[in-house]
Amino acid sequence: MGVFDAAWLYATIRVSTPLVFGSMGEVVAQRAGVINIGLEGMMLTGALSAFIATWLTGSLFLGVISGAAAGALLACIMAGLSIEAKADQIVVGVGILILAIGFTTFIDQELFAVRERVFLDRMAPVPIPGFFAIPFLGPLLFNHIPLVYLAYGLVPVVWFVMFRTSLGISIRACGETPQAADTAGVSVRGVRWGATVFAGMMAGVGGAFLSVAQLGLFVENMSAGRGFLALAAVFFGKWNPLLIVLGCLLFGAANALQLRLQPEPFVPFEVWLVLGVAALLAFVAVHVVRRQAPSALVTLGVVGVAAGAFTLAIIGPTWDLASQLWLALPYVLALVVLGGVVGRSHMPSMLGVPYHRGGER
Amino acid sequence: MRRFVSLLVSVGVVILALILSMGAIAATGGPPVEALHALWDGAFGGLAQFGGTLTRSLPTYLAALGWIVAFSARRINVGLEGQILVGGVGAALVGLHFEGMHALLHLGLGVTVGAAFGAAYAGIAAWLWARRQVNELLTTLLLTFVAIRLVEWLVRGPLQESGGVLAQTDRVHGSARWPVIMAQGSLSLDVLLIPLLAVCVYFLIHRTTFGYRLRLAGANPTAAVHAGVSTVRVGVLALLVSGALAGLGGVSRILGSESSRMTDWFSADHGFEGIVVALLARNGPLAAIPAALLFGALRQGGGLMEARVGVSSSLVQVTQGVVILLVALIEFVHRRRERERVDKTYTGESGAVKHRAGLDSNDEQPEQSPRVGHGGI
Repeated sequence: MGVFDAAWLYATIRVSTPLVFGSMGEVVAQRAGVINIGLEGMMLTGALSAFIATWLTGSLFLGVISGAAAGALLACIMAGLSIEAKADQIVVGVGILILAIGFTTFIDQELFAVRERVFLDRMAPVPIPGFFAIPFLGPLLFNHIPLVYLAYGLVPVVWFVMFRTSLGISIRACGETPQAADTAGVSVRGVRWGATVFAGMMAGVGGAFLSVAQLGLFVENMSAGRGFLALAAVFFGKWNPLLIVLGCLLFGAANALQLRLQPEPFVPFEVWLVLGVAALLAFVAVHVVRRQAPSALVTLGVVGVAAGAFTLAIIGPTWDLASQLWLALPYVLALVVLGGVVGRSHMPSMLGVPYHRGGER
Repeated sequence: MRRFVSLLVSVGVVILALILSMGAIAATGGPPVEALHALWDGAFGGLAQFGGTLTRSLPTYLAALGWIVAFSARRINVGLEGQILVGGVGAALVGLHFEGMHALLHLGLGVTVGAAFGAAYAGIAAWLWARRQVNELLTTLLLTFVAIRLVEWLVRGPLQESGGVLAQTDRVHGSARWPVIMAQGSLSLDVLLIPLLAVCVYFLIHRTTFGYRLRLAGANPTAAVHAGVSTVRVGVLALLVSGALAGLGGVSRILGSESSRMTDWFSADHGFEGIVVALLARNGPLAAIPAALLFGALRQGGGLMEARVGVSSSLVQVTQGVVILLVALIEFVHRRRERERVDKTYTGESGAVKHRAGLDSNDEQPEQSPRVGHGGI
């Protein structure tokens, strides 16, 4: 259907990958009680580190490992300050963010600005034999670069560990009632350290996906807010990996739509149609889930948006919306869905609160 | 005495961060001493340089005030950058229109609209927080990215300069500009906002009922609710004031800048820098002045450092990041000291048990469960 074709779906899966990596790490950290605002910075550092390692060694594999290591290193700073020194996690996160932006720009300019921009070979898609032969779904789902399989493979694993193993219970306990976890003999410090470092590694791999796997080059500030979208996905998915991945795909779809629309001379009518239908569906879904009547203002707004979108679909104006506005789409979408869906009830109770053992104040 | 110690600590943090940055220059094969020298010359070498330092400190300082107001109610406004951008858009809209208006009116309108735009933009996050319980930390950040794209679109689309070549607007009308004090360094009258707003914000937080409510809602939401203070209302107002202050910073970036135009990303990280400044100043509106001047100097001097020694001025950002982390670390040591001191007071021989309200010092963060009060983290 027009721009919503197989190429768009394929791109959605691909561009959602860094968000999936970032949010899978983040959900573990947040379930353990550590909110990692520096995610974006860890992603950026991972991207640069992976790029340098691949540039030096020529090995994509080592690049990804190095991206993970760089993310983990920053996460160690985060963990040390927020778990050991019990500093404000938000403040430390902002510090890591600013540090990472400055540091990656500095290193990039020192290493690469003087010479010509370095391009590396990208990671090649690896079709999975057998599955690839499935009509339509095969080329769509089973013809990706390995990191994509890894990201989506990680989702059920994280879910299983979180909800079906004793390790998962420990992690969740550290975020809900650390005192109880401590009493039961769980090392709150240990779990929080592990979760934070895991989050850093995943963010680093997400960054490596951006630089070496997807583009084959490093651009200053290339993560461009994807870390925050991953954070938004965690809130959107109510700290459940299976729902979070839906959030990632949603934001990814908006991003892929923008990529897909770039060559089009004007916005095709189906985009307006889908916008209208999506607004109505989301509105109904939210209120069915919440079991509460919508407020007049919100109803009016949604009906207005939908009516406007349908009118545009019928008239079919030859508008060429500027690419900058499409680039803002995932963020606007994230704000809208956060406002529509999230309640506070599912947030880990002790998120962002340092744990003091008895007597240690 | 305690104030003096914390001042010393802040100065120590900055010196340590500078030393580490010099180390980074040396590690990449640059000349650290020459770089420092260039940094100094660029920031304080002459009247023009100092004017530039002041000009560059201003938006950072206003953003810092924005953070301080929001944080005194424990609201985390990390989207100051976006509010600067949107405030600047408001100022540019006014400045590009209304030709021939009386200068005082025109400038006044620009400043008001800019501040209102900033407040309204923070208001989106405030509304989502108050009505939808969405964490303002996340929404202000997301809104920043929307604002960046919005400005990118405006300067290429509807507000692009008449020639249509570069991604920038026309110059705003002269009547909307802040009057220039000193041509070199493009110092304008808006620099007076620094002392003026410093006093206003200090007074607002520490000497008014509203300020007391802010601090009460921030320090102890349960107590605030019992005292009949609506934490939601206070939180929303804190975010609105915070956005208005950042919006004023945006106004200065347009109506108080040499180019007098809106360009891509004209906020240039002043919003994030404001957070660093506020943290370095331990959320004190007056202490934030020297901190903002320091960062303005780093920014101003960074240009000469890059030109003269070839060291990338992004190193300044590295320094800032290190400063935040060091402050976070020292806060820990400081708090532990404080606790020991308090424990002594409680069990001490004087026999008097001091009551600590936890309201007078901003660096004191009472432990609290995020379940208590509204909005939590």
